[in-house]
Amino acid sequence: MGLMIKERQKGLLLILPTLLIMSLFTVYPLLDGLRMAFTNTHLLRDTVQYVGLDNFVRLLSDEIFWISLYHSVVLTAVVVLLQFVLGLILAWAMQQELPGMSLFKSIIMASWVIPVAATVIMFKFMAQPDIGLINIILKLIGFKELNRYWFGDLHAALPFIMLLHLWRNVPFYGVAFLAAMQAIPKSYYEAAEIDGASAWQSFVHITLPGIRSMIIVMVTIHVLWTFNNFDFIYLATGGGPVNATDVLPVYVYRQCWNSYTLGYGASIGSIMLIILMIYFVIYIRIYEKGAVSS
Amino acid sequence: MSSRTHSKIRTTILAYLVVFISLIFFILPMLWIIYCSFRTQPSIFTGKVIPPLDEFTLENYATILSVTDFPTYFLNSFKIASAVTLLSLFCSVLGAYGLSRFDIKGKNALIMGIFSTQMFPQVLLIIPMYLIIFSLFLLDKVIGVVLGQMILVLPFQIWMLKGYFDNIPMDLDNAARVDGCNIAQRLLYVILPVAAPGIMVAAFFSFVVSWGDYLIVSIISQSQRTATVTLVIQRLSSALLIRWGQVAAATVLTIVPTIILFSLVQQRLVEGLTAGAIREE
Repeated sequence: MGLMIKERQKGLLLILPTLLIMSLFTVYPLLDGLRMAFTNTHLLRDTVQYVGLDNFVRLLSDEIFWISLYHSVVLTAVVVLLQFVLGLILAWAMQQELPGMSLFKSIIMASWVIPVAATVIMFKFMAQPDIGLINIILKLIGFKELNRYWFGDLHAALPFIMLLHLWRNVPFYGVAFLAAMQAIPKSYYEAAEIDGASAWQSFVHITLPGIRSMIIVMVTIHVLWTFNNFDFIYLATGGGPVNATDVLPVYVYRQCWNSYTLGYGASIGSIMLIILMIYFVIYIRIYEKGAVSS
Repeated sequence: MSSRTHSKIRTTILAYLVVFISLIFFILPMLWIIYCSFRTQPSIFTGKVIPPLDEFTLENYATILSVTDFPTYFLNSFKIASAVTLLSLFCSVLGAYGLSRFDIKGKNALIMGIFSTQMFPQVLLIIPMYLIIFSLFLLDKVIGVVLGQMILVLPFQIWMLKGYFDNIPMDLDNAARVDGCNIAQRLLYVILPVAAPGIMVAAFFSFVVSWGDYLIVSIISQSQRTATVTLVIQRLSSALLIRWGQVAAATVLTIVPTIILFSLVQQRLVEGLTAGAIREE
């Protein structure tokens, strides 16, 4: 018995370095950030005062905040939904045992590993007017009048940002779904075939339930990552043209590091956290319900 | 029977169509920037896809490597990413082992807590983090950037490694314990060799995340001393007059290390990344 208690303490000792770093650089900053949301902290000013709910009142009438919130929600919803569907299609294709497929599988995740800053430059380069590959191809197929800088276009900029998210993450979805598909016993499919099930039916009734937990993990984590994502938009457009691509993380960053209003930035960040917490709670409810029923 | 061969052919055609479109969409942008990194500035500005041979050049690379400070930034990135990898591996291997093998009080809440940090907006965390690093006198120091980047890496890494360790049979530990191995010996000689592929993927993950980080380094770095490649390619590509040939060369050099590492772990990557989501019963 004495040995067990000692073991338990050693277990705690093992997670101590992680707990230390996480408390200092995640838990404390989170609490302090929430506190700052109620202050007028300014990066270049030493005096800090509590201003109650002033920052939040200011938010309500801040047009750019509402635009950013709207973009954040739309971006996250559209991107995660498309990534999920396209990832499924990609996984389905990779599951077919065809010549060349293993080579394809080995290179397809390359887009996920390269720095976002590099991805952004690649696409900015391709989106250049006249000299960018996209505009060169459009010209070749007879759409010369579409020639423009795509990230600078009021209507095309946000869809283009979505395209960047797809470019980076769809292969990850595909490969992850494929891994989960391969864990489904082949006998299930054979049994379904004997019963006369169509390919579509076995996909809906065997494949989708079989990869359910992977779908849940991928979607959850990407909702959080996409909603919190800062660098795609900041590096590609900075939120422009004229707020056409502004999202909450970029707006927070600009408030803090361009306008130096840390307090106001923190209040927007707090709203982001609240939104994600609501999402998280709803998701856990649904997940637990699903776990009970299945 | 013929309807089955029919659907087989249809499946093959559809699958290859998906592969073809994917190759164009996912691979072509990378090939294009590599291709253009070997072209002269005037050549790129002609807007031609296939220029005459004499418009190809190594000059962009020569300029980036010898005239600009790019090598300094490259070295900074390398230092920072290596340090992040070592420190985060140290923490996450120990932590994941503890969470996987020991009966710690409040363990599930702790795992949930670590996972839920993924929900915290990083743009919010970096505000107080900046002030902490400032008061520790670590602003514009490599170690300051390294500590800051930990929050990008650690939670996911622990979650992933814990999943990996969970799939290693407990019997191995128990046998070693009976043989009189202590925790450190069990971890070093029993778990690590079995978990090596997973740990390689974890190392790869932290290196690549650190190498690609812009957010943290843009706040903590104040000078050439700690600036990384992501900062410098961003700066080059938002200049008033953009030299696309040089930007392309710098971007390719930024991508190369990640692609080399990717090719080393590629076979294990998915298995490692998704270990937390797939449980072998």
